[in-house]
This record gives sequence, structure tokens and C-alpha cells, in this order.
Amino acid sequence: MRIPLGMIVLLLISLLIYFGVAHRVLDRLRLSDKAALAMIAALIIGGFINIPLPAGPRLEASLNIGGGVVPLILAVYLLTKTSAKEKVRALVGMVVTAAAVYLTGILMGAEPGNMLLDPLYVYPVVAGAVAYLIGRSRRGAFFAATMGVLVVDVISYFRLASSGTPGAVLIGGGGAFDAIVIAGLLAVLLAEFIGESREWLQGGPGVEGKAPALLKHLRPLDRNDRELKHSRREDDDHASMDK
Amino acid sequence: MRQWINRLLVMVMAMTILVGAAGTLAAAAPGGLSLPRTGEGVYGLERTDGKYYTITDEHNKPLDYTAHILYPGDEIITADNLRYQITGIRGDIASTRLVGKEAAVTVNSFLPAAGGTSGQVAAGQQEIAIYHTHSDESYDPSDGTSSIYAHGGIFQVGDAFAAKLKGEGFKVLHSLRPHDPHDANAYTRSRRTAVELLKTGPAAIFDLHRDAAPANVYSATVDGQPITKVRFVLGRGNPHISANLQFAKEIKAAEDQLHPGVVQGILLTQGNFNQDLTPRSLLIEVGANTNAKDAAERGVSFFSDAIPKVLGGVTTGTRPIVELPATGANRANWNAALWIALIAAGALAGYLYINAGSWQGAWDQVRRFLGGEFGHRIRDRR
Repeated sequence: MRIPLGMIVLLLISLLIYFGVAHRVLDRLRLSDKAALAMIAALIIGGFINIPLPAGPRLEASLNIGGGVVPLILAVYLLTKTSAKEKVRALVGMVVTAAAVYLTGILMGAEPGNMLLDPLYVYPVVAGAVAYLIGRSRRGAFFAATMGVLVVDVISYFRLASSGTPGAVLIGGGGAFDAIVIAGLLAVLLAEFIGESREWLQGGPGVEGKAPALLKHLRPLDRNDRELKHSRREDDDHASMDK
Repeated sequence: MRQWINRLLVMVMAMTILVGAAGTLAAAAPGGLSLPRTGEGVYGLERTDGKYYTITDEHNKPLDYTAHILYPGDEIITADNLRYQITGIRGDIASTRLVGKEAAVTVNSFLPAAGGTSGQVAAGQQEIAIYHTHSDESYDPSDGTSSIYAHGGIFQVGDAFAAKLKGEGFKVLHSLRPHDPHDANAYTRSRRTAVELLKTGPAAIFDLHRDAAPANVYSATVDGQPITKVRFVLGRGNPHISANLQFAKEIKAAEDQLHPGVVQGILLTQGNFNQDLTPRSLLIEVGANTNAKDAAERGVSFFSDAIPKVLGGVTTGTRPIVELPATGANRANWNAALWIALIAAGALAGYLYINAGSWQGAWDQVRRFLGGEFGHRIRDRR
């Protein structure tokens, strides 16, 4: 079969945009450009590797490297780079997201046609909103979304394994396109979008009570407002003196 | 202003927690919330109240029936290729407006291959993947119930589909993996199966279901045999929708020529159905829970005759089977690609505008980005 050119272009554009967005999101999580690229490579290549998990007669269980292990390692790594306060917030976010994913399964009915939003997009929306409300943090959003979906998979694995129920738990089996990865990426985008919109609505980021280091690179919104720029520079000097 | 935004956010948070708590209580209450049950008089798992929608035209004449919960904006393409959009829902009636008649799909594969063998494909080259998101779905008259946990009668209908396609020269990957329970997360679980199946590069992937509707909606007679009809369901929340729709229309056009009346129509509804994974991913409903399973098996066998017409395959007997030039599909693919690129560009522009506070600022950011990312490379070359 000859594959039509249009289909090749469609697939290429879809993949380029997906991985382009993924790269930008990872970039925003304090990973360097190269580290973000390496992560994407790990997501793709790891997607082809499954680690079998102990299972029953009609239970199939595995852990995918790209869709499960890589996001897990990344989420935990990002968490270690944050303050104790943010760690607690991210963990709370994870619990709330996991509960929301679990409840979605029970409450939302069986057919995506019955919902205004597909569950695939509900997880990141919940995780992104929760993480933003609790911690207003991109890393918090990534951790809450990734771990929230993963935790539900782990619970479902133990539930099926202990009760001998037939089923399949392929944690992260979708590789780079798994709900775990999509949830993490979209949650960061959502937190970013809410944060930016809020700043835009209030006419700039809040500066009261913020650490001087955070305000250091703020540019005044009005480029003609030299006075403001000037006073900021003085603040910067103070900040560096404080150090 | 800031205070108001903060208040609003706190209100949203409080509501989220309240809804979550109410849901938890409902789930914990004895018998308060359980998975929807099906039984006599209950048309399946979509609507749990035992009813289904009657889709009517502008003159209140019934067009179709389904238990899929419908929303205004959803569309149906009927067996005779009329496209209707749902405008309102009152009780169990979904009223529509006629959008128009679908343009005829040219299935050039019905012409004999020019120069004999050109366009023919060797046996075993093409793969078709089949899986079942709702692995419990069963047929009441044959299975005794409409739902059998992880062992649904739908697996046998999948077997019939696979056997017929194999006979037509395709290599078939039929996954018998269960994705139970039949809940909202079933598609997230089956997504993993779909991705796994796609790794071998199949030409198309089918998610086989059965609908939940009265028996007469899907029953038909073809070549003197009682069968169930087949309906395509496409997810509107999927970026490949136009390419998927074109693929469905081509199969329908081929089937309409081979066995008129087998394809019930196309339903475009909310959801994604994992159809974002490839432009050639289709969900089909083979009959309903109220139909007999052997009728569904015959229905899907007749349906499968159209697949080699669209995808190519090998010649069986004297029937000329030629690759479809796919001009229509190609246009749909280009359209989908263009839309995806435009939406991405729009989202990026919106984000930059919000981020920078003005269009000038947004443009400055784009210039800075281009200068930073590519500028130094250009400079380096010099």
C-alpha cells in the first residue's frame, strides 16, 4: 500500500507539534534544552520496553519504561529540587488528582460520548487546576498529574492482583502517548496558562512579599516608564547587596 | 482586581472539594453508586435509565436511535449519506437540522487495475489491528446477558471479523486483552493496547463494540441472511477527526456498493476514542445488546468485504482489488494537518499575547526566540 503524502504530512505535523510542545514544557521545568531533548528520546525509546510485573492467570501486568518509569523518575527528580513546602503541596496535589482520576472512572459514566471532555483531558485539567491552586507551581502540576494517574494504575494493579480479577494493567503502556505523559504535559501548560492569564488580568506579577531574586529580571510592562525601570534597578542592587 | 481573582479561585477550589467530597460519599454509600447495570429493558451501559434517544429530522420524523448520550453540535451521517446536526435535546428526542448531502466518495478501486497487477498487494504485507475497549459487551439473546466481565461476546464477533480479513489476505492482530471494568477509564487502559498494536505499523486499527439500542435499529437482511448493521462512531475531540471521517466514508462507500444496507451510518460525538493515535483508527458498533451474536458475526463479515477495497489487499477470486488512489483521504489528511498547525499557531499566539501583554510584545518575543535559537547558528556559519 502506498501511504498518501497528506497522511505522512499529517502524522509528521502531529508528532512535531506534540514533541515540540513536550520539549518546551520540559524546558520550563528547569531542565536544560539538552536534558529536555534527552527526556523526549527516553520517552520514545523507553516506550518500546516493558518490564513484566507479577500477574495472575488472566491478569496481565507490565511497567513501560517510556510511559511509566521515565515520567516517574522525572517527577521525583523535579520534586527533590523544590522546597519542603512545595514538596508537601505537590504530594497533596498528587493525592487529590489520584482521587479525581479514580472518581472520574466511577462517576463520569462509561462512554466518552457522555462527557463534555474526554477523560484523557480531564486528568490534566484536574491536576493542573489543583496544582495551581495549591502551589501555583509548574513542577507541582507536573508531579501531581503524572503521579496522580500513575498511583491509580498502581492501586488498580494491586486490586486486581489481590482479588484474582481478570484484567490488564499496563502501567504507562502507551509510551510517550500514554495518559501519564499527556497528563503531566497538559497540566504544566494549564498551570502556565492560568498563571499567565491571572498576571495579565491583574496587570503584572504580584511583587509584594516576593523574594528579591524572583523580581530581579522583571521588566516593566510599559516600556516608556523609565522611572519604574529605574526603581527596579535600584531594587536589584539592594538585592545583590543583601546577598 | 487581584482580590476578586483570588476570591474567585478560592470559590472554585471550594466547589471542587465539595463536589469531590459528595462524590466520595455517594461512592461509599451502600448501593449509592455502583457501575451501571444492564438487564431486561435496560439498553446498555450508556444510558442507565433504560431509554435511548430518538434522533428526528426537522419534521419530527425519526432518523435514528442510539443510547449514546448526545449533545447539541453532535452530528450523524445517515445510511443514505445525509448529514444532520443535533440542535437540541428534549427528553429522549434529539432534534436535528439537515446540514446537507455528503459529497459522493470516489472509490476508484472498483475499476479493474490498469495494466493488470499494478496496485495489487502481496499477501501478508498489510496488517489490520483489532481490539475491544469494552471487553464485557455481550449480546443478550445469545450470551444470556449484555455484559460478561472480561469475557464479552464481542470477542467472538472480533474473531469473525479477523477470520474474514485473514481470508482476504491481511495479516490480522486481534487483541483479546480485557480492559474492564466498563468505566470512564476503559479508554485510557485500551489506549495502551492500541499503542502496542500500532507499533507493528498496521494499515488500520478497529475498536469493536456493540451498541445499546432496540433490536430493530440494527437488524437487517442481506443476501437472505439476518445480520446486524454496523455503525461508525467518531470522536469529535480528536485532532485527526477529518482524516478518520474520510476513512470511514470511504469504507462506507465501498460497502454501500458491495452490500447496501450493512452500514447504519456515522455518528460524530463527544470524546476521543483513542482516534488521535492514527488517522486510520475507527470505532465500530456491530449491532446492539438486543441482537443475536451470530447475526453480528455475519454483519461484520459482510462489512469486512469493503476493507480490501479501500486499503488494498490481495485478489481473492476474480474480484479486482486495487489500491485506492485516496485523493479524498489525502485532501482530508492535508486539511487535518493544516487545522492542527493553525490551532497550534493560534494557541501559541494567544499565549504570547497574554504573556507579553501586547501584540508588539508578543512579536518581540518571537523575534527574540528566532534570534536566540537560529540567529547564532546563522552567525556561526558566517
